[in-house]
Amino acid sequence: MSSKESCRSELRIAIGQLTNRCLYSASKWAAEQLVGIEQDPAKFTPSNTRFQRGSSSIRRKYRTHDITATPTAGVSYVATPVMEEDELVDADFYLLAKSYFDCREYKRAAHVLRDQIGRKSVFLRSYALYLAGEKRKEEEMIELDGPLGKSDAMNQELVSIERELSTLRKNGTVDPFCLYLYGLVLKQKGNENLARTVLVESVNSYPWNWNAWTELQSLCTTVDILNSLNLSSHWMKDFFLASTYQELRMYSESLTKYEYLLGTFGFSNYIQAQIAKAQYSLREFDQVEAIFEELLRTDPYRVEDMDMYSNVLYAKECFSALSYLAHRVFMTDKYRPESCCIIGNYYSLKGQHEKSVVYFRRALKLNKNYLSAWTLMGHEFVEMKNTPAAVDAYRRAVDIDPCDYRAWYGLGQAYEMMGMPFYALHYFKKSVFLQPNDSRLWIAMAQCYETDQLRMLDEAIKCYRRASNCNDREAIALHQLAKLHSELGRPEEAAFYYRKDLERMESEERDGPNMVEALLYLAKYYKSQKRFEEAEVYCTRLLDYTGPERETAKNLLRGMRSTQSSLPPTDVDHFTP
Amino acid sequence: MTGILKQPGAFAITPHKVSLCILLKIYAPPAQISVPFPFSSVSQHNRLGLFLLALTKSCDDILEPKLDELINQLRLVSQNWEASWLIDQLISRLSSLSSPDDLFNFFTDIRGILGGPDTGAIEDDQVILDANSNLGLFLRRCVLAFNLLPFEGVCHLLTNLGIYCKEEFSSCPPYEETSLDGSSSNLETYSEYENMDLENFVYEKVSEEIEARKEASERVPFHLHTPNALLSLVDDINVAADSASKQTDKVRVASPYEDPPSNMIQDIDSSGAVFLRSNWQVQGYLQEQADTIEKNGSAISLNGFEIILRQLQKLAPELHRVHFLSYLNGLSHDDYSAALENLHCYFDYSAGNEGFDFIPPAGGNSFGRYEIALLCLGMMHFHFGHPKLALEVLTEAVRVSQQHSNDTCLAYTLAAISNLLFENGISSTAGILGSSYSPFTSMGISLSVQQQLFVLLRGSLKRAENLKLKRLLASNHLAMAKFDLTHVQRPLLSFGPKSSLKLSTCPVNVCKELRLSSHLISDFSSESSAMTIDGAFSTTWLRNLQKPRGSLILCQENGSGNSSNVSQFCAQPTSIPGSVLQVLGSSYILRATAWELYGSTPMARINALVHTTCFADASSSSDAALAYVKLIQHLAVFKGYKEAFSALKIAEDKFLSVSKSQILLLKLQLLHEHALHRGHLKLAQKLCDELGVLASPVTGVDMELKTEASLRHARTLLAAKQFREAASVAHSLFCMCYKYNLQVENASVLLLLAEIHKKSGNAVLGLPYALASLSFCISFNLDLLKASATLTLAELWLSLGSSHATRALNLVHGAFPIILGHGGLELRSRAYIVEAKCYLCDTNFNVFEDSNLVIDSLRQASQELQLLEFHELAAEAFYLMAMIYDKLGQLEEREEAASSFQEHILALNNPQDPNDPLVSIY
Repeated sequence: MSSKESCRSELRIAIGQLTNRCLYSASKWAAEQLVGIEQDPAKFTPSNTRFQRGSSSIRRKYRTHDITATPTAGVSYVATPVMEEDELVDADFYLLAKSYFDCREYKRAAHVLRDQIGRKSVFLRSYALYLAGEKRKEEEMIELDGPLGKSDAMNQELVSIERELSTLRKNGTVDPFCLYLYGLVLKQKGNENLARTVLVESVNSYPWNWNAWTELQSLCTTVDILNSLNLSSHWMKDFFLASTYQELRMYSESLTKYEYLLGTFGFSNYIQAQIAKAQYSLREFDQVEAIFEELLRTDPYRVEDMDMYSNVLYAKECFSALSYLAHRVFMTDKYRPESCCIIGNYYSLKGQHEKSVVYFRRALKLNKNYLSAWTLMGHEFVEMKNTPAAVDAYRRAVDIDPCDYRAWYGLGQAYEMMGMPFYALHYFKKSVFLQPNDSRLWIAMAQCYETDQLRMLDEAIKCYRRASNCNDREAIALHQLAKLHSELGRPEEAAFYYRKDLERMESEERDGPNMVEALLYLAKYYKSQKRFEEAEVYCTRLLDYTGPERETAKNLLRGMRSTQSSLPPTDVDHFTP
Repeated sequence: MTGILKQPGAFAITPHKVSLCILLKIYAPPAQISVPFPFSSVSQHNRLGLFLLALTKSCDDILEPKLDELINQLRLVSQNWEASWLIDQLISRLSSLSSPDDLFNFFTDIRGILGGPDTGAIEDDQVILDANSNLGLFLRRCVLAFNLLPFEGVCHLLTNLGIYCKEEFSSCPPYEETSLDGSSSNLETYSEYENMDLENFVYEKVSEEIEARKEASERVPFHLHTPNALLSLVDDINVAADSASKQTDKVRVASPYEDPPSNMIQDIDSSGAVFLRSNWQVQGYLQEQADTIEKNGSAISLNGFEIILRQLQKLAPELHRVHFLSYLNGLSHDDYSAALENLHCYFDYSAGNEGFDFIPPAGGNSFGRYEIALLCLGMMHFHFGHPKLALEVLTEAVRVSQQHSNDTCLAYTLAAISNLLFENGISSTAGILGSSYSPFTSMGISLSVQQQLFVLLRGSLKRAENLKLKRLLASNHLAMAKFDLTHVQRPLLSFGPKSSLKLSTCPVNVCKELRLSSHLISDFSSESSAMTIDGAFSTTWLRNLQKPRGSLILCQENGSGNSSNVSQFCAQPTSIPGSVLQVLGSSYILRATAWELYGSTPMARINALVHTTCFADASSSSDAALAYVKLIQHLAVFKGYKEAFSALKIAEDKFLSVSKSQILLLKLQLLHEHALHRGHLKLAQKLCDELGVLASPVTGVDMELKTEASLRHARTLLAAKQFREAASVAHSLFCMCYKYNLQVENASVLLLLAEIHKKSGNAVLGLPYALASLSFCISFNLDLLKASATLTLAELWLSLGSSHATRALNLVHGAFPIILGHGGLELRSRAYIVEAKCYLCDTNFNVFEDSNLVIDSLRQASQELQLLEFHELAAEAFYLMAMIYDKLGQLEEREEAASSFQEHILALNNPQDPNDPLVSIY
């Protein structure tokens, strides 16, 4: 990895260039990382923290650096953003266009730059056109179809932009930003392969544009595709890989990458949030909560990723914290899908499912491809016993992302509720295939096999075994395994699992009917095995409990004593004093 | 709230509708004399009116025609001069609509051509649209829709109008390369059509010609802009349209129009056929495709159809049926995962509540009809050869449909289960159907599989009868007949002494069931044709019992009230729906099979012939192939292999596309048979192995094929004189048949065992097998097999010594009527030879006196065997002949017979004959 200093200088210049091209979210991201770099206390001077926005003198100064900035050993890579800027004859026009753009008057901006041929102008013009088309598309979607229906509204500008950019690319007079836009357009038109190639070209020649990386990431749906990409190495690639691994559900790889990145970007909120995301997928809720608390302290008006935080709070049933979060995001920006989702979660936790559906719907109105809102809405419908609506909502989630195991799981649950366990199995299978390390999914599937209608106990046992192997938090699997084995008349296996369950309960200091059941079974089992000493141990432990089991234990003890005393009389004689 | 279902297709104003309004305005200009300006006569004027009527009727389109398509149609409707005038007017008025205000004014103007409420006041010769007429209503709807539009809507309309016009103006240059050649020639043809006297014109010819033309130019007229996939879609709809136009033909007789030129409606129809793309029509198209897939799935290309479907889905996202079609498509191409995905997807979205005749459940039960999903899933698993899974799913379907008291679905499910039990060997159903259905298990009595099957069949039959599901009833009767044919009916519960049991099948029952199933056709023809189609495809999966597929969701039987819509697009040319014909056809196939088993070859042949001649169009391709198979087998047995193979060639060409077909099976069977007869044992073994490979490796699936393969294996081993191996194969086969209750097959396996022991010279051991086979034959009424078993028995007796010759002779003579009447070449000649041998062994027989008796039958036998190229037996016959001639002292004849004998022996020992034409087939 390049030194912190070189990262910093690269980012500084990149932010200027990105802002200059109105790629605001990319520059926001870059700026976040820039501040995220750990400050070297020795060099900590006010001048270092000052942004030098795109002034030509600075750029000229840094252009000389591109040889001195030493890349990682053995890797030759342009480390400093070298972008020879056009001689802007029309700099004034560009300024005007950029102002229009900043005021979101895209068409106007494009119009100002209509005859310009400089690369920067071409990019800004095309980008403005693209955004104008997108805006119009969104409006049309609402005008024509309502936000929840499918709509075939298209960005009308795509064709002309594509035509222009493809000629530019053929002529070889295309810059990385135009390539990024070209990739975007191609992706929207469904030409994914070319889009991937173009985006790779873009990030290879200008790696600091995070937008391009995210677009590329959305095109990497499998590991094979990811591995086939021909990416030059740069520290931005690590960010990309980390994030893509996460999307591909390779959480531990992703976490390692992020840990590594933390070495340089120690204060990056972005990385923290991403780590939280991965931890959330690994169901480490406490860690996630801690990270988010920290994040909210340093960045109190953050809305991004907060829906995940709300999910964690929901899972931990923290009513007041959730309501506090909901209030906070509501005051910050109530028309963000995340905000609506958080409020929906809150109502759901309160058991007011109708209201929560209203908010999920609002979230979907704001972004109809908002995956988790569809899934969560499905959950609400399930709670409201409206299974067809739930099925519909889940199905939409699955159509948006066929890898969303929660939605598959939800579908399975819905069908199981309707008394179609065998049909539901198909969906459970899908979901465990996508998330094989989640014990809840295995348990759900096992329970499905276990239903009265199916009674496929062997399959259920297999599923429970998988569940117990992957960190079954609620410890359902062991108990069920023991029970099923005893039902199937396999006392040894049953005893084995009861013992395991018992050990686990002891270590977690849990108590309850399961404990009694395990003790009783083990006592009886050892008695039938003629291992009276063990049996006695369990029986005496049972005596601590109240209820009928206690009596049974007493009877067992008594029975054992009598058999012991009657069977080998000689022994008894020996031991009686 | 029930989901997030969107109300599809409100009446929205579109550019096409604006054009229609413009045309209407031209048609009925305010304050004009009777024939407005451009028209020279009333009939001309009416022509345009009718054209507009047709257009307005198809205004609920998913895809509307583009402007140039409309213009083309206009050209067809009217004469040259006025056409160009009309088109000019249309285009100029369209392009004059350039601001929202123009639109406002336009729609205000339009109101003027509508007659007011006091229509009586106007003069006679003024053209005024009645506000309640079709055209008037259309106009009013347009005006209303426009007035309801918000300003955004008006802007949209304006943009769309711009695109609509621009496409027309720019259509020539960019699309020229692809379409010009096709379109120009097509225009000519259309003017040809116009000039034709269409009074007696059979409409099919038009579509045929379009078809042919399309093949030539790869383009259909009118759709210059649509992508290829949609073109084929439209093309198919053309076919659908022809039945619709037939209906209008009928209407025309009573047509109120006085002066329509005779070819005019036809004209409009032909143009009407072109823009048939309303929601109904797409559904009709889908339905037709579903039919095609079910009839002959492999005729449709997997990916090509998938592209069309994807396109359709884009156009009509609410039309979830598309998923179902892609499920069917996957099914017919054996794409398991695609089929599975699409099936689930379809039911997730539609909950079974889709289809044209979907009637929302009366009781406000918004639950969805997921039991149908289960039924379909079950049948899918069945199709892919997963009987266990299928049974699980179907059991769940039974449970769910009971839960929701969906009796129709229950009846179908039961039928599907019994079908499954028939087709697949399932040795035990215990615990599967268990508590949920059978009333007997609740009494704690376990039933055998056949008994379960019987109970199920009866249950399904009763339900079908109660619910008046005719096709299901008919096919249940067929299933019942099949059951009666192959299973001995035992009482379900027997108390007391069992001596009274009569263990035999009852052919009368079979005939009765077959007859009952055929009653269906009289039921259908007695109904009025308007009533007929209570779901033309509700039972399409039943059409072919071997390959059930589940499109019954598309139409429910009880939806007859709503189905008049269906008939509009899929009306059958006859009053009997195709599915009924198909059930009938399969009843004939079953008859043929029954007679084949009972041993009456003429009856079997006649029934197969009836099927091929009468039901060739209606039946599914596998049924048709089966009928051909039966006929060809008959040929092989009675006429020898040459004829059979030449017939096979024809059948192969005909059923080229049928995958995993019976034709391939037949070919292997014939070749194996032939190889065995010619003594080409290596080839025979190879063929036999190949036959075995065709069967699925899953236990219990493709039982028939597996039995067949191992039977043939044993026979091959027998021919190779490897008696021990042959016997062991036959033994394990017997065990398998016993396990899966294949009684009829058992009879032939036993016979084979007897044969093996006979050949190995162990006649005493063979006798019990022959007798057992005989008793099987008797209890299942397998007369021909019985005759053959009798023959074997006679041979066994004979080989025990000459003292048993009389007994053997009596046996042979007893079997002769059946053998000579119904037996094939091989059986007959075997009988002759055995007879001759009996005579020769008999000490009372005097060769010199009765030589003709023996010589005659031997000659007959040798001739027939030569036809079969059955060298071994032929050699035997000639040998016997030579011996007799030798005894008689007829040396010349003796030499002749001896040389023939030598020939056959040589051929047998040296089977490789490079000149054999039949070997090259393989």
